[in-house]
Amino acid sequence: MNRQIPLIVCFSFGLIMFLQYFSNHTIARTMNLAILDYWQIIFAFTLVLGVVSYIKANMTKISRGIDRPYLIVGLLGMISMPIMALIWGIKADSPFMWMFENVQAPMASTVFALLAFFVASASFRGFRARSMQASILLGAALIILLSRSNLPIPYTEHLSEFADWIRNYPSMTARRAILIGIGLGSLTTSMRVILGIERTWLGGEK
Amino acid sequence: MDISTIIAGLLTLIIFSFLYKDNPFYKMAESLLIGVSIGYVLVITWSNTLMDMLFEPLFSNAELSLIIPLFLGLFMLGRFSDKTVALSRIPIAVMIGSGAGIAIPTMLYNRTIKQLTASVMPIFTESGGLNISGIVVIVGLLSTLAYFYFSREHKGKFGAFAKLGTYFLMIFFGTTFGYTVMSRMSTFIGRMEFLLSDFLKITQ
Amino acid sequence: MDLIILTQSLFNTDRMATFLISLIAIAIVLYTTYFRKNKKPFTIRKINGLQAVEDAIGRATEMARPLLYTPGWGGDIQRPTTIASMNILSFVAEKTAQYDCDLVFPTHDPIIMSVAQEVVKESYSRAGYPDRYKEDNISYVSSSQFGYAAAVDGIISRTKPASIFLLGTFEAESLILAETGTSINAIQIAGTDSTIQLSFFIVACDYTLIGEELFAASGYLSGNKSILASVQAQDIMKIMIAVFIVTAVIWATVESLSGTPLSYWWKF
Repeated sequence: MNRQIPLIVCFSFGLIMFLQYFSNHTIARTMNLAILDYWQIIFAFTLVLGVVSYIKANMTKISRGIDRPYLIVGLLGMISMPIMALIWGIKADSPFMWMFENVQAPMASTVFALLAFFVASASFRGFRARSMQASILLGAALIILLSRSNLPIPYTEHLSEFADWIRNYPSMTARRAILIGIGLGSLTTSMRVILGIERTWLGGEK
Repeated sequence: MDISTIIAGLLTLIIFSFLYKDNPFYKMAESLLIGVSIGYVLVITWSNTLMDMLFEPLFSNAELSLIIPLFLGLFMLGRFSDKTVALSRIPIAVMIGSGAGIAIPTMLYNRTIKQLTASVMPIFTESGGLNISGIVVIVGLLSTLAYFYFSREHKGKFGAFAKLGTYFLMIFFGTTFGYTVMSRMSTFIGRMEFLLSDFLKITQ
Repeated sequence: MDLIILTQSLFNTDRMATFLISLIAIAIVLYTTYFRKNKKPFTIRKINGLQAVEDAIGRATEMARPLLYTPGWGGDIQRPTTIASMNILSFVAEKTAQYDCDLVFPTHDPIIMSVAQEVVKESYSRAGYPDRYKEDNISYVSSSQFGYAAAVDGIISRTKPASIFLLGTFEAESLILAETGTSINAIQIAGTDSTIQLSFFIVACDYTLIGEELFAASGYLSGNKSILASVQAQDIMKIMIAVFIVTAVIWATVESLSGTPLSYWWKF
């Protein structure tokens, strides 16, 4: 019974969402929007579980003396945000938004910027033409890079045209094949879920 | 220089220090980033989702239909106890079931049908000349699909055709890599501009 | 008249083709799942990287280091790719339970965390070692993309997992994680449906499951008949797609050579 009710719920909501896609009736549109709202509301409640898991994991480590000062800083950062929001609100010039703009955002942007170095190190290792496949990958990447660089290369216009052709035909056709495969894989996985054949999310067969 | 720029600048430098190696300053900044970002999501979710979408319309405007998501959300909290953990499977079933239901037609249309129909083009032009691009597209598509064919081992002629597909895949990976390298470099340049101009005032 | 208006608005005729193709696809999946059950068991070809899964778990056990599994920042539990990733997680968790190897699963989404806890707990029970299950190892780290990336990076740098599984929907964080994994010499098995990130995984990881391979992987690893049946259904659909494409191309070519404007019947 513990598993049958979720399976029935899963099937019913799956069927509703599948059918509403093919209708432009007001009821179908309303149901679609309502269920999309449910997703957000369920996420909001589940966030409590996530935050508790974060606090619990950090408290366990702190009590064992692992990375204590750093984890305390993290916990303080987490607790300070709701406190600031509670006291001063979340308007544009509030301390809450100040923390977001001057602490979270610059650090997040820098983590993103680290990618430039990771791209360089990955290229260094990955671009050793060890096989035919690796050589093709390297060649295609180089053509794109050279065609988009400002280096004084002869026949730049032709290179640029060739790079566009590669992107629009051989590269695009492979991308399409990947997407077709993903579409088919998603379709069959979704069907298994709705029909209740796929039960891993419930912990597995029973 | 104002305090905001100093803090943002220092945190930027600390995050970059990870490239040298993991260090206490980075550990502190990383932990702060995680903590602050969780706190931020918590507040925004409370304000934009729970208050605006649930509590206010339910309790101020008496939109009783919202009792359903309220209970689904509360059921999720059943995971705090072994006795009530089964309740949490119902909202999970709603999420997974409805996600699967919408995925069937949308994935089929966007990922399969649209891609498929966009690949059809004549292989001879009106003047009777070969349309090289058209041939490349059809051969590329069919050979890459052959690579994704799982019912048969990649041996013999079929294997050779599937191998041709891997070459097309590598061209795709190479071009994507090339384009993304350019965009990642510009992100890095953006951060360096902030450091050198706003924070260190070395350049204007 | 009212009835006509009601019928028109009930069914969106613009989506008729997708509806019919969906029905055909559903029929094929039902056929391979239920009606071919008693026929010869369906097997799938060797997929590079999947033979390495057990080796990766064995390596972590031998080195007495954890195994890290993360489904990426780009997906949520509604996404079929996440479900496919949960299937693989189930297999991996069963093995880590048998080998008594620590499985660490950081995620950006509390719902994925809840489902993963359920999946891993059940896998540990199935393997006969429920006491080895550690709930704290399956944790929510942050919903922010780079908060998540920094957190997983931190876990990788400090716990030094011997093997890393990056299976799910990834975005820009993919290379940050893969390169950090490489820097600690971990064996990395990646797989995603994000076409752009695939190129980074190909370059940085030891093995990469490309798009649909991720969906087939769970069937390959578990030998689960229903998953294998859907892989077979996918292959049947691929043959139909190939026939459709060849027919449409021939048609377009004939139209082009005869000078008639292309009819574009294949566009729907």
